[in-house]
Amino acid sequence: MRVEVKFSSKRFLLTLMLCACSVILLQNHDLSRDASFTFRLLCLAAALLFCFGCYLPSVFLRKRGEDILSVLQSRPKWERWLITAFYCGYFRYTAVYFLLPYTDMFTKKYYTEASPCLIALLLLCCCVYAAFKGANVITRFGIFLFVLAMVTNVMLFGGSLSSLQMDADSLVPRGTLGDFLRDAGYFLTPCFTAVLFACLSGYTRNFRLRQPLIALGFTGLKYALVLFFITFAVGEYALRQDYQTFVLSRAAHFGSFSGFESLYMALATMSVFMIIALLLCAMAKAVNRNGSLPVIVLFAASVFAVHFAAANFDSAKEIFNSPSLLNLLSVIAAVVIPLFYLIIGRKRYA
Amino acid sequence: MPKKVLSLLCVLPLLLSGCGNSHQIESAAIIENVSVEEKDGQLLYTFYLLSDSETPEAVGVPADSFEEAQGLAARQYIPHLSLAKLELFLIQKEVMHEIMQRDIEYISTQASFSPVAYVTLCDSAALEKVKKSAHAQETIEKQLLLCKSNHPEVNIHYLSVFNSYADSRRDCFCVPYITAEEELKVSKLMIHKD
Repeated sequence: MRVEVKFSSKRFLLTLMLCACSVILLQNHDLSRDASFTFRLLCLAAALLFCFGCYLPSVFLRKRGEDILSVLQSRPKWERWLITAFYCGYFRYTAVYFLLPYTDMFTKKYYTEASPCLIALLLLCCCVYAAFKGANVITRFGIFLFVLAMVTNVMLFGGSLSSLQMDADSLVPRGTLGDFLRDAGYFLTPCFTAVLFACLSGYTRNFRLRQPLIALGFTGLKYALVLFFITFAVGEYALRQDYQTFVLSRAAHFGSFSGFESLYMALATMSVFMIIALLLCAMAKAVNRNGSLPVIVLFAASVFAVHFAAANFDSAKEIFNSPSLLNLLSVIAAVVIPLFYLIIGRKRYA
Repeated sequence: MPKKVLSLLCVLPLLLSGCGNSHQIESAAIIENVSVEEKDGQLLYTFYLLSDSETPEAVGVPADSFEEAQGLAARQYIPHLSLAKLELFLIQKEVMHEIMQRDIEYISTQASFSPVAYVTLCDSAALEKVKKSAHAQETIEKQLLLCKSNHPEVNIHYLSVFNSYADSRRDCFCVPYITAEEELKVSKLMIHKD
């Protein structure tokens, strides 16, 4: 039996930040077309503030030295099964939610002859191995990914500086309530990291409240920079194709040296890998605290089956392309359930 | 027995190398630049293949648009056509109004084209030079970069030309114009949108 050692909370939050940043890497016409850049920044700030709110119930649980999965151990069996089933369903949904756009982007933009299901299968095989190794090892990988992300961001943003064409019109806040709801709904997607925090933070030590604040702050900065360069360096051209950040990576150049899409794809691949590995890890831990290999393989197989169905049937795909549904489920998993156990626990301690 | 089955299952994925539909790089026809001009009253798109010979290898395809020329070239003239490394699109000045906006709009929708490939107008003499010398393209690219650094308002890439067409608040914009009397020269040319 493997024993999970406690690891630094800073490292865990760094990993969650990288997971949150992957949302903007897979952005594909998810934002409203008419809203200005400044208006989008306002939506981003409002959404990330809400995301921080999603962290708070788990933060208070964490202060007691517990996470949601350890709290469940002391609950009646039927209740434990019910909540575990919900979390497993949520993790499966989230895994497919990220796997679908990734495989779609890979096959549409990078290598058109590859099959989306084959890409998903290969990625899931790697994720199974990582999930088996545990959250500690995945967060160690996060340090390497952070360095890669820094290099890629420097290339993307530095290479786009020469194409910048500032437009005063885009700096005026302009947008409707519908634009606000759409954009804020999309920027709210990173609150899935609050669910991962709620389920896996029990293995961490030296937690401080400022850590999720800093992680979300950096996530917001990354989003803002990507939006800034897509708006002012790529402009209308970005809207002509799918996956606008990919277009940014192709448009970035230093003189005649251009095309950083390979670096961008590497970053997107590893970010999605890390998200799914953490989700599998959390799924396995929800069922079995030791996270054994057969459980992880079983979950990975179920994720592949759902992905296969979603990739082949448009009606199923629509369900997995909805940020609103993911946000709703995330709020239930990160706020409602932990808050319920927080209140129950307080009554018990009182 | 389960161990044998597991070992077999581990070995099988190694056969999934993904090379089933692969094209060897030696057999790929990589296009470096494309030019378009009017010849005998019809548009002629010329695809210049990547090669190490002194004289460029070019294939002319008569067509009404870039999209049609690309399709025809891939089907009839150049098997395994690859435009992923396209660096330069030369447009004869006389056909500019007919094709420039339409072709650039088409290119902007294609993921395989680099948004920062060069696009420039040129005269017939410059096109003749490109057809005769493999070094002409290199010279043009150097001249374009020089032109951009001297005149930042000049749009030398698909990306900036497309955005200039799309910007409804602008009536005109600058593009480079290559002429060749004795040697290749770049100047800027103002395009007025209709």
